[in-house]
Amino acid sequence: MRELKISTSWVRGVVGDALTPELAVNFACAFGTWAEGSPVALGRDTRRSSVMLRSAVVAGLMSTGCDIIDLGICPTPLVSFAVRELGCAGGIAVTGSHNDSEWNALKFIGPDGALLNTVRGEELLDIYHASVFASKPCGHLHLSQGSPGMVTRYVEHLFAALDADAIRERKYRIVIDFCNGACGGITALFLRELNCELLPVNDAPRDTFAHPPAPTPANMIDLLPEMRVTHADLGAAVNVDGDRIAFVTNEAFPLSEEFTLPLAALGRLARRPGVIVTSLSTSRMIEAVARSRGQHVIRTSVGESYVMDRGLIEGAVLAGEGSGGVGALPFTSTFDALLTLGILLETMATRDSSIGELARELPHLAMRKGELPCQPDQAYRAVESLRVNYESQQPDCTDGIRVEWEDSWLHVRVSTTEPLLRVIVEAESEDRADELYQEAMGMARRAAGREKGV
Amino acid sequence: MTHPLSLKIGITGVRGIAGQSLTPQLVTSFAAAFGTYCGSGPVIIGTDTRPSREMVTHAAIAGLLSVGCTPVSLGIVPLPVLQHHVRRTAAVGGICITASHNPLEWNALKFVGPDGMALRPNQFAELTDLYHQGVYPRVTAQRITNCQTDDSAIAAHRETVLTAVNEVAIRSRHFKAALDCCNGAASAAAPEFLRALGCEVVPIHTEPEKGFPRDPEPIAENIDELRRLVKEAGAEVGFALDADGDRLALVNERGEALGEDCTIALVADHALGRRGGPVVVSMSTSRLVEDAAARHNSVVYRTKVGEVHVLERMYALGSRVGGEGNGGVILPAINPCRDSFVGMAFVLEALAENRAKLSELRNRLPAYSMIKQKLGCRSRDVLPFLRLVRHLFRDEEMDLTDGVRVLWPDRWIHVRGSNTESVIRIIAEAPTEADARQLVQRVMEYLRPPEV
Repeated sequence: MRELKISTSWVRGVVGDALTPELAVNFACAFGTWAEGSPVALGRDTRRSSVMLRSAVVAGLMSTGCDIIDLGICPTPLVSFAVRELGCAGGIAVTGSHNDSEWNALKFIGPDGALLNTVRGEELLDIYHASVFASKPCGHLHLSQGSPGMVTRYVEHLFAALDADAIRERKYRIVIDFCNGACGGITALFLRELNCELLPVNDAPRDTFAHPPAPTPANMIDLLPEMRVTHADLGAAVNVDGDRIAFVTNEAFPLSEEFTLPLAALGRLARRPGVIVTSLSTSRMIEAVARSRGQHVIRTSVGESYVMDRGLIEGAVLAGEGSGGVGALPFTSTFDALLTLGILLETMATRDSSIGELARELPHLAMRKGELPCQPDQAYRAVESLRVNYESQQPDCTDGIRVEWEDSWLHVRVSTTEPLLRVIVEAESEDRADELYQEAMGMARRAAGREKGV
Repeated sequence: MTHPLSLKIGITGVRGIAGQSLTPQLVTSFAAAFGTYCGSGPVIIGTDTRPSREMVTHAAIAGLLSVGCTPVSLGIVPLPVLQHHVRRTAAVGGICITASHNPLEWNALKFVGPDGMALRPNQFAELTDLYHQGVYPRVTAQRITNCQTDDSAIAAHRETVLTAVNEVAIRSRHFKAALDCCNGAASAAAPEFLRALGCEVVPIHTEPEKGFPRDPEPIAENIDELRRLVKEAGAEVGFALDADGDRLALVNERGEALGEDCTIALVADHALGRRGGPVVVSMSTSRLVEDAAARHNSVVYRTKVGEVHVLERMYALGSRVGGEGNGGVILPAINPCRDSFVGMAFVLEALAENRAKLSELRNRLPAYSMIKQKLGCRSRDVLPFLRLVRHLFRDEEMDLTDGVRVLWPDRWIHVRGSNTESVIRIIAEAPTEADARQLVQRVMEYLRPPEV
């Protein structure tokens, strides 16, 4: 299947006929033109196809006269950090992130270290579509040089954001499944400095992954048995480029990726009070935590670039999503699994609580997530039909439709990555969640199906 | 400065100004087309020392990986080393990233087949067909392989060449050899090679990062520094290489440049002394080769200009030595391509076995004077020009294999369109410089009548 998705902050696709090296060269040329020949930081994940795409990106950037700071295999947050630290015009991370291994993507990072926001991203796309790229005759050799010490500087930067001494006293034992991605080495360094013992799972960087990389309970098949055997203080699953993380309690109970943001907020808000930004699809657990600390939550369209961009504008302390991606501002301007891990350890240490105890502080909410495969025209009609139906509830139509009740909410939106409609429901009781989910799904199906049937 | 017509896609490869007409998009697609043409397997990549080499290499790697080939990067290597490596390692093909004698801002892809030879014209036509169709069978993410590197190519090539010459005789003479690599692809390999033959090497321009210090063509007017060096150092021979290390020009012990067209004549003279047989050279090569062949009762065959044409005829005739007047020497039994290392080894062997100075070896052959001239010309004007030349010489003996070559008993002139630049090349050879110049002048004036 030919699958290509282009947004303002990334281009992703199935490697082969859709995501070709020519496309990557063209986007790199557009990015180099946008960067006006200033240095660009570059990193990649461990996928086989990342080697190919990286070469294409190097060629494209060099032809537009950009020097390249090559960080090799590294987490995306490190590319972001290097951009800010070295004053680069931007960065490109070659990574399929949480997508399965046949996919890959280029993530575009701006001078602030954040994924390109819509304004910048539209500039980039305009250059790409105009196909008029800067061209520097290669009068001098364009360097593709490493940046020694960047990993150490990054880890030290993270410590400055944390109460590292409190963590060091606890000597935590932690199991982490790295899914053979880019984060094994840097996390080992980070935890060693924090006096923690790392019990790694799937930590060898490999071009094929032990399991699908999204950090969800379904993909914790290697992690959970290890937690049961080791009785470690904390378990975690990280995606291959280190922007998402999900946790397992000390009782070896897997926590959905929806828990990551509220868990991070539990301790973080006590240390650094402030606004939290999240997306329309994220669990209401975060409102409960924020309210208990006297703070409030701002919701945006779904996607890291929206959430982080708003977070930077609002001066938020945390920006994150139900996907397990969380960033703690101003220390990072991307979702950052390593910093999120640090925040959780800090919370456990300063609150003197186990991860299980922290999780039980969060309200119990029932969530239902589903997908309805449909073509874009059907999807939009389904959303419209829901909007009309729930009009009296004054739905939020920023991104699809979100309807709120006292005890529940629903969010139906068109996926930006696949031809389907995503339906998410959350309620205080299981029954209410089921009822609302059936209602919304049925309505969407009828709207889409009626159109299809005619 | 823009060069709207700087892209040249022809049998010598895909050539243009890097980043301008030779864009990374073009390189990526051509590499994907070449990978499609070769089939999956290792494809050897090497470069000369041009600053655009990294950009072009990465673009080629990306294209090759996308169709399931395994790029094997040799880094900076002379073209003949890459060609040897393709054959030795049974790779499915090779891409040499070098624009040979073009100025520094140019670059090119030269495609090498599994036999180590440049693609033949019909093969290259198939490749360009694939490129123009623009649909390459991309492999899925799971079937993409990884890049490899290999640093054994230079040593392996050296071994092959050394075993083909009388190493003992050469080593015993401890020659003092001056060497000018033009800061090109042979900067590391050539000094090492000569030292392995027992030479004391006096090198200049062996710094690959410094750009070309002179016009890369190893013609007499470009190698004054080497000539001075030979005299100052008291060297017995001076070797001048071009940027990709396939062509060789010689300087004798008196510091005189012999001219790049002399190399094939001297090597043929020596090689035919070992074992006779037909010699094959291109239309533009000096008649010194005929004189050298006559000393050994051998016959000279002439082909269209271009390494492939020479090689094809050599194979057809079972010829053991051939080459071109641009300093290219081919001994297919050792390495079936222009190889300056083979040339250097044979010149040293000739010096050693004849116990003669280079000037003495040269003087066994008569003296001619050669004039080479370029005339800017759009592609579409080439044929009308050549028609005019044919008309001009309509009463003379003529060979139309490649452009127009007119023959007299003691002189000749050759006019043809270039494969690599938008120019017409005019070459004349005669007993004296004045005679040669007069021949060229006749053509120039006929093509561009002087303004009244």
